[in-house]
Amino acid sequence: MRSEMSIFSSLGKPGILSEIQAFIAITRREWTIFRRYPSWIIALLIWPLIFPMMYILTGRALSGPDGSGLAVFTKTTGATDFIGYIVIGTTVWMWQNIVLWDVGFSLRNEQMRGTLESNWLSPTWRFSYLLGHTGPQIISMAMFVLITAVEFGLLFGVKLHGSIWLAALVMIFSIPAVYGLGFAFASLVITLKEASAFVFLVRGLVMIFCGITFPISLLPGWMQSVATWLPQTYMIHAMRAAAFENASLTDLWPDLKALILFGIFWLTIGYLLFTWMERRARQSGAIGQY
Amino acid sequence: MSEFAIEASQLVKKFPARPGAGSKTEATSSKRKRWPFGKREPKPMFTAVNGVDLQIKRGEIFGLLGPNGAGKSTTIRMLCTLLEPTSGTAHVNGFDLVAQANDVRRSLGTLLAGERSIYWKLTGRENLEYFAALYHIPAAVARQRVDELIERMELKDRANELVEKYSTGMRQRVAIAKALLARPPILLLDEPTLGLDPQAARRLRELIAELKQEGHTILLTTHYMEEADQLSDRIGIIDTGKIIALDTPEGLKQRIEQKEVIRLEVAGWHEEIADKLKSIAGIENLISRQQTEADVWEVNMQAHNSRTALPRIVEHISGNGTRLVNMNIVKPSLEDVFIHLTGKALRD
Repeated sequence: MRSEMSIFSSLGKPGILSEIQAFIAITRREWTIFRRYPSWIIALLIWPLIFPMMYILTGRALSGPDGSGLAVFTKTTGATDFIGYIVIGTTVWMWQNIVLWDVGFSLRNEQMRGTLESNWLSPTWRFSYLLGHTGPQIISMAMFVLITAVEFGLLFGVKLHGSIWLAALVMIFSIPAVYGLGFAFASLVITLKEASAFVFLVRGLVMIFCGITFPISLLPGWMQSVATWLPQTYMIHAMRAAAFENASLTDLWPDLKALILFGIFWLTIGYLLFTWMERRARQSGAIGQY
Repeated sequence: MSEFAIEASQLVKKFPARPGAGSKTEATSSKRKRWPFGKREPKPMFTAVNGVDLQIKRGEIFGLLGPNGAGKSTTIRMLCTLLEPTSGTAHVNGFDLVAQANDVRRSLGTLLAGERSIYWKLTGRENLEYFAALYHIPAAVARQRVDELIERMELKDRANELVEKYSTGMRQRVAIAKALLARPPILLLDEPTLGLDPQAARRLRELIAELKQEGHTILLTTHYMEEADQLSDRIGIIDTGKIIALDTPEGLKQRIEQKEVIRLEVAGWHEEIADKLKSIAGIENLISRQQTEADVWEVNMQAHNSRTALPRIVEHISGNGTRLVNMNIVKPSLEDVFIHLTGKALRD
């Protein structure tokens, strides 16, 4: 093996630009690995259909042979397109669910693969490892939403009656809350090793309290109070209003404002939990244990 | 600049003991709450490293040897900032391990977990480019550095293939290239030749010797005694969390030069014979291990005077279904020193 000239001036140059370069490298690595598991294409085509179909078919069965029950649903919800109404709710649920599994288990997966320690040995800001998972996840989720819209448009004739841009804006405002919760999970998972029970709890809460297939006004008072503390309630409400009720930005503002506050809250919690976990891992050796 | 690349003083690392842990656990002042009564009771702790002192000179290869569970991996993990010491201080390249952790990381190239430390779904080149960014190497410099290392590690022909298609030796070479990316002054190599075939291991040992020639300080842990003997300028032997001997390989061997090592090959070996041999005056540190050949055991023991001990050894071994196949009296090796100091073989 050829000998190298070496004078031990470290080639690394610390600074904010180097941190940005590292963040981009983490994002690119995630995206490259994601692309190399081709099974994601099948999941991306099938899942947008399967989950809402369960509720849509149940709704059709309950509406009676002539579909007259749908009029009652329209009266209760104000929604003329019950399929679109359900698809928005289930898509938000799927988004949060996928983020909990993908981002929430991202560090744990690295730990089991054996690469977490080799990342941790570098001088890069460690929160970047979590942030770096977010970019590819948002891209895949945007594809998920797009495929959902195309599939339900083609197969069920669902059409938007509002603004696609405002619907996209609601999604953008939702990102901090959705991913902040994911970061908090990631930190818990690496400490507890196993947090599937928490994922089931959160997605169960969203399913019952946030009205993914029904208006929360149907819930008892105390459940409606719980719903006001969950960001997904505002996401679903604002998305339906933007996509199907022709709502303006002013109409959406109360929901967007709530999403900003939830975003700040969950990002802060996510960061604090990560910092706590990182410190605890250095003391307990949890990073190397799998 | 200090003449020492690594200096550690009274490094201690304690972990919460797992249920059923053995004799190395202790009750410390660390408390835990017993809900719901609010009473507190001492939390049992396990001491993995118990007051390690190290001074590793710049440019030397320092071998850290110890049986499994002796504390060598914990020591390395503390020195590369993955673990925070419970007490004690350490400086790496002049930087404090805890207060200047990022400067410590910039000073180190670390090989831990070998082939598992890289991404198998990336190519060798992509892995190196990725880690170059993590070590904050500017992109243009990184490209050149990655090319240099790919060439040096003889990976040029397959640098653009996924790592999952590589052999263990090739993956290990990528992992070493990763450790060298930022051209760090100090290298921590934890079991670098583990799992490699003899030829790949030999080439890696040559590379380690080259890296020393280039001026790198290397802290090496290994299970292979010959490797430590061949490569290390000095060797520290760690057992039950403490450095119990520290010297050059020759210096360590001189410690037991007044003793002789009796090496036997015995067919039909059983533990009753071991007990009988241990009872012979002047015999100590008896270690036996089965050879690959069926039912032939290699038995090593140290003797103050082999002439007086040999007749009794032969007497105990003959008969009872056992047969002496071969016998040698040899000069003590580093492994014999290790057995003398720890009472265990390195692979125990």
